[in-house]
Amino acid sequence: MSVRDDVLVVEDASYAYLGRFPALDKVSLRVGRAERVALLGANGCGKSTLLKVLDGLVFPDDGRYAAFGEDITEERLEDQQLNAGFRSRIGFIFQNSDAQVFSPTVRDEIAFGPLNMGMAHDQVEARVADTLGMLGIADLADRAPYQLSGGQKKRVAIASVLVMNPEVLLFDEPTAALDPRTQQWLMELIVELGRAGKTIVLATHDLASLETLAERCVVLGEDHRIVADGSTHDILTDRDLLLAVNLIHEHAHSHGALAHTHEHDATHHDPTDH
Amino acid sequence: MSTAPGAIAPDWLVRSEVGLCPCGCVGRRRKGSFVEKTLTGAADVMHQAMFGDEIAAGPGLLQRLDARVKVLTLLGLLVVAALAHTTAVLLGLYAVTFLMAWSSGLRLSFFVKRVWLFIPVFTGLVVLPATLNIITPGQIVVPLGNWWFGHTIGLTSQGLQSAALIVTRVAVSISIVVLLTLTTPWPRLMGALRALRIPRLFIQVISMAYRYILHLLGSVEEMYVARRSRTVNPSTDLKAGRAFVSATAGALFGKAHHLSEEVHQAMVSRGYSGDARAIDSFRLGALEIAWTAACVVTACAVLGVDRVIR
Repeated sequence: MSVRDDVLVVEDASYAYLGRFPALDKVSLRVGRAERVALLGANGCGKSTLLKVLDGLVFPDDGRYAAFGEDITEERLEDQQLNAGFRSRIGFIFQNSDAQVFSPTVRDEIAFGPLNMGMAHDQVEARVADTLGMLGIADLADRAPYQLSGGQKKRVAIASVLVMNPEVLLFDEPTAALDPRTQQWLMELIVELGRAGKTIVLATHDLASLETLAERCVVLGEDHRIVADGSTHDILTDRDLLLAVNLIHEHAHSHGALAHTHEHDATHHDPTDH
Repeated sequence: MSTAPGAIAPDWLVRSEVGLCPCGCVGRRRKGSFVEKTLTGAADVMHQAMFGDEIAAGPGLLQRLDARVKVLTLLGLLVVAALAHTTAVLLGLYAVTFLMAWSSGLRLSFFVKRVWLFIPVFTGLVVLPATLNIITPGQIVVPLGNWWFGHTIGLTSQGLQSAALIVTRVAVSISIVVLLTLTTPWPRLMGALRALRIPRLFIQVISMAYRYILHLLGSVEEMYVARRSRTVNPSTDLKAGRAFVSATAGALFGKAHHLSEEVHQAMVSRGYSGDARAIDSFRLGALEIAWTAACVVTACAVLGVDRVIR
């Protein structure tokens, strides 16, 4: 991939919470335009922190981060024009929808981003109506967040980001704690957004949905470093790698007199696998 | 049982234990602790807030009004209630609030209970001394004996009239506020206040506080239910209750801190830079104009009659 296609570039980024608890250790990552990339890793390996770095919410202690050819630092984001441009081009869907859906009503929530971008009120209203319709939540427009189910909150959180029409979408554990129907809906949406030319980076340890969601996988180890970067198929077939980074585990069990050992991931159990 | 490689389940874990008396006898019943009662109350508040919007979404007169018009006109009636000086006129205005409640589909018994629940506690205690002749001199109508250096103490006619005036005024004022809050969904009420030039940041802080109080209340309830599900011998011990409350408060503080950080990040991520913005959509139709005219007529009538009979 040529350098000019890279929309997000992280070079040797390290970050430690409170300066003591490491979350990233010399992580380098390049994400090309319209790529669908999955960040894989066990709990606590630094996936969410890396997403926050990509969204300019936390800044590396060491190393560099650039988006759309601009260096992103805390000082540079104080420039209002750069800040508005960067924020409107990258959208982040948090794992905890309760943190993301903070406005009094769904309509207010979806309007929050475009209003902060300085869009005219009538244009915001038209966009909000379109987004509500697109995600099938028009009937929730005047509801308060505490009246919504987990799946509905996730839809509202996605709507609140999509309404800004960002070029890059960051998803933190998109399918976690969702019912199967909402999971399927979300996976189809992510694929559709990818086809529409959006760059997608998602953090997950759900291997079952990975081949649908991403074409490339970046694997973070429990030492907070990147241990592998390759096509989804190559990563998923590398059993030793997945065992080493704690994404699958060996599971010993017996069928009558026959005992054997094979691997399981945390979310998927195929009954024909036996 | 599936275990991690190398881990062996201890004997006691693979052996079943009888938790209850096998004879099935019934033990001594214990009442819930103060923690349980407090949390049940808090959960009730949460459920009331969640389903209270049903009344506000009803098809009644006040529910159909634009929230901004409703806030302004009811605020005007509050001022009228504060300016009226005769109990009879205030009682007339009180009757008008009943009419409003009825036309908005509120159960009158519920409406009266909501208003009069706090009046005896807060207003009654305050005005009680004013009914005595040592505070409000006048004609004693109910003598209470000679307790004041040989002087008679009693309730005076003037004192009772003043108390009745204050209590009626408070009842009318609370009725108007209750009508407003019961018939307006919380977000629309906030929107109306925003439209009335109350600083946006102030409204945003109140809105978010309301939103997350309900969320954190849910967390407290979950923590308590989780603890209760693991409690074999329910205890009403105050010390244990206090220990649970302090532990919960600590855990909740940490949770609230983490949540506030995430909420701020979610706001910054969508371009928030300290200036609160929101869309306000209000309607001003024939109903709002007719309602405003009716409120103006009522206000003029109340103040006019009050001046005549005073």
